[in-house]
Amino acid sequence: MKRKWLLAPITTLIIFIILDVSVVTGHAHFTFPWSHIPGFFSFFGFLGCLAIIYGAKLLGHFWLQQDEDYYDKDDEHE
Amino acid sequence: MMSMSNFPLALIYIIGAVLLPVLPRQLRSVFCLIVSALAFIILVNLETGASLTFPFLNYELMVCRVDRLSLAFGYVFVIMGFLGGVYGYHVKESLQQVAAMLYVGSSLGVVFAGDLFTLIFFWEIMAISSLFLIWARRTRAARKAGFRYLLVHAFGGSALMAGILLHLQQTGSLLFTHFDGGAASYLILLSFALNAAVPPLNGWLPDAYPEGTVTGSVFLSAFTTKVAVYALARGFAGLELLMWSGAIMAVYGVVFAFLANDGRRLLSYHIISQVGYMVCGVGIGTQMAVNGATAHAFAHILYKGLLFMGMGTVLYATGRNRMTELGGLFKKMWPTLIFFMVGAFSISGVPFFSGFVSKSMVIYGAEMEHLGAIVLLLNLASIGTFLSIGLKLPYFTWFSTDRNLKTEPVPKGMYIGMALTSALCIAIGVYPALLYNLLPFEVDYHPYTASHLIESMQLLIFTGLAFWLVMKKLHAEATITLDTDWFYRRPSHLAFNVFSVSICELFGAIERLSLRFVRYLVKVGCNPAGYAVEVTKNAGHILLRTEKPTREPSDFSPDRYRIPLGFMVLVVLLVLIVLLSWDFLF
Repeated sequence: MKRKWLLAPITTLIIFIILDVSVVTGHAHFTFPWSHIPGFFSFFGFLGCLAIIYGAKLLGHFWLQQDEDYYDKDDEHE
Repeated sequence: MMSMSNFPLALIYIIGAVLLPVLPRQLRSVFCLIVSALAFIILVNLETGASLTFPFLNYELMVCRVDRLSLAFGYVFVIMGFLGGVYGYHVKESLQQVAAMLYVGSSLGVVFAGDLFTLIFFWEIMAISSLFLIWARRTRAARKAGFRYLLVHAFGGSALMAGILLHLQQTGSLLFTHFDGGAASYLILLSFALNAAVPPLNGWLPDAYPEGTVTGSVFLSAFTTKVAVYALARGFAGLELLMWSGAIMAVYGVVFAFLANDGRRLLSYHIISQVGYMVCGVGIGTQMAVNGATAHAFAHILYKGLLFMGMGTVLYATGRNRMTELGGLFKKMWPTLIFFMVGAFSISGVPFFSGFVSKSMVIYGAEMEHLGAIVLLLNLASIGTFLSIGLKLPYFTWFSTDRNLKTEPVPKGMYIGMALTSALCIAIGVYPALLYNLLPFEVDYHPYTASHLIESMQLLIFTGLAFWLVMKKLHAEATITLDTDWFYRRPSHLAFNVFSVSICELFGAIERLSLRFVRYLVKVGCNPAGYAVEVTKNAGHILLRTEKPTREPSDFSPDRYRIPLGFMVLVVLLVLIVLLSWDFLF
C-alpha cells in the first residue's frame, strides 16, 4: 500500500528531471549554482515546504504563539 | 486649465462621498458604482504627461500629474473600487460607503499627486477614511484595533510631514520625484515603509485588517500598502535596503501566516509577503523589476481582494473566521470555494492565473541582476504562499472536520463581485498583454516559456506533496501570534499607567488633601479656642508621656459652647464697631 503511494511522486520527479535535462538545463537565460541540478525546484519545493512548516511551528511553540486573551489580560481596569 | 486630460480623479470620489448621504437609501449602492464608472471614463481620457497646478499660499501645488506609473496604479484602484462596490452592494450603511469612497478617492489622490503637500493631504485622508472601515464593524476588538491603527498611522503621517518640511527647507522644491538621500528622505522613507508594512513596521496590518467589516477589509487589503508601493517606486527605486527588506519581508509574512488561526489574519500576513515582492522589485530598481513590482501590485490587488471577498463571505454566512471553528463547509458553500481557489491559484502563481505572469516578472528582474539569494528567498515565499492559501486555509475551511455550521444566505452582489474579480484574474493570466500594456516601461518578457512552466510546476507539485505528507499532523491552533505590535501593545499599559492612571491618581490625592485641609479649617473655625485647648492638652500629654485620657461621652454641659459662641460674638461686635467708626477714625 505504502509503495503504491510513493510511486506517484517518484514518477513525477523523474518526469520533471527528464524535462529539466532536456528543456531547461543549458537553455536558461541566466545561470546560477543550482541551474545545473536537474529537478532542483522539486527538491526546493519539497524541502522548502517542510522547512516553513516546521520552522514556523518551532518559532510559534517556543516563542510567538500565546493564548488568545494574551493582550486582554492587562485590560482589567477598563 | 482643468480639462478631461488632467482632471484630478480624487475630486469625483470626494464629491460622491459628499452627495451620497443625502441620496435615498435604495440609490446609494448604485450611486457608488456610477461614481466608479464615471471615474473610469475620466481615467481613460487622462493623457500621459498632463498636469494640473493650483496656487496655494506661496506654492504651486501639482494636484494632478499623469504618467505611466501613476496610470497603472490608477487603473487598478478604480477597477478595485468598482468591484468592491459590487461585492458590497447589499451594504446600506452610509458610513461604510462614504468611508470606502473617500478611501478610494484619496488613494487615487496620492497616486496622481505631483507634489508632496498634495501627497500628504490625501495620505492623511486615506488613513482616517480607512479607519472607519474598521470601526464600522462595531465590536470591541475592532474599536481597540482601530485606535491602534490610528496611532500608528498618526505616527507615520507625522514622520512624513516632518520629512516633507525638512525636504522643502533643504531643496526648496515640493515636487514628488526621486529622493537623493539625507535626513529628510529617510523620514519620508520611514513613513512610506510603515504604510507598506515593511517589518518591523508591519504590526498594524495583521492587527487591524482582520477586524474590519466584511466589505471594508476588501477595500483595506487593496489600497494602503499598494499606495505605499507606488510611493516607494517613485521616490526610492533602486534603493538596495528596500531590495533586501522586500525579500525578507516576503518570507516573514509567509512564516507568520502559517501560524495564524483567523482566516483573514492569514490573508493579511500574505499581503505583507506579497508586498515584499513589490518592495523587492522596487529596490532592485531596473526597468524590468519596477515593471514587475507594478504588475504584481496590479494583479495582487485583484486576487487579494478576491481572497478577502471569499473569507468575508464565509464570515458573513457563518459568523466565524477562525480555522479552529470552521470546517466542512464544502456542501453549503462550494461556489465560494471555487472563487476563493481562483484567488488562491492566482496568488500561488499557478499557470494561467494572474500571479503567474506578475510575480515571475519580479523574480526575472532579480535573475537579470544575478541576485541568487533574492531569487531563492522569493521562491521560498512562493512555496509558503501556496502552502497556506492554496492548501491549508481552504482545507480547514471547506473540508477537514465537518462542524455542521449553520449558514446564512449570502447576497447575490457578493457572488457577482467575486465572479467578476475571478474573471479578471483569469483573463490576466491567460492574456498577460492586458496587464503588460499598462506597465510604466516597455515590456520585454514572456511568462509562458517551457523552463518557467516546468520550474513553477515543480515548486507547486512538490509543495503540495510535502503538505499532503504532514497534513494529518497539522491542525489549526487557537492562539494568537506575537508580532512587532507587541512593542507598543504591551508597554502601552505602562505608558497608560504613567500618563493617565498616575496623573489621575495625583489629582485624586491633591483633591483628598485639600478636602482634608478644608475639613480641618472647618473644625478649627467652629471653635478656635476649644481647639487650641485640645491641642495644648494633647501636646502636654505627648511631652510628659502620660496616657492620653480616652474621651468619654459626657453629659451636656452649658459651658461647652460658651467660649466659642462668646468669641464669635466678640469678633462680630468688634468688626461692627470698626466699620461704624471708620469715618471717625480716618
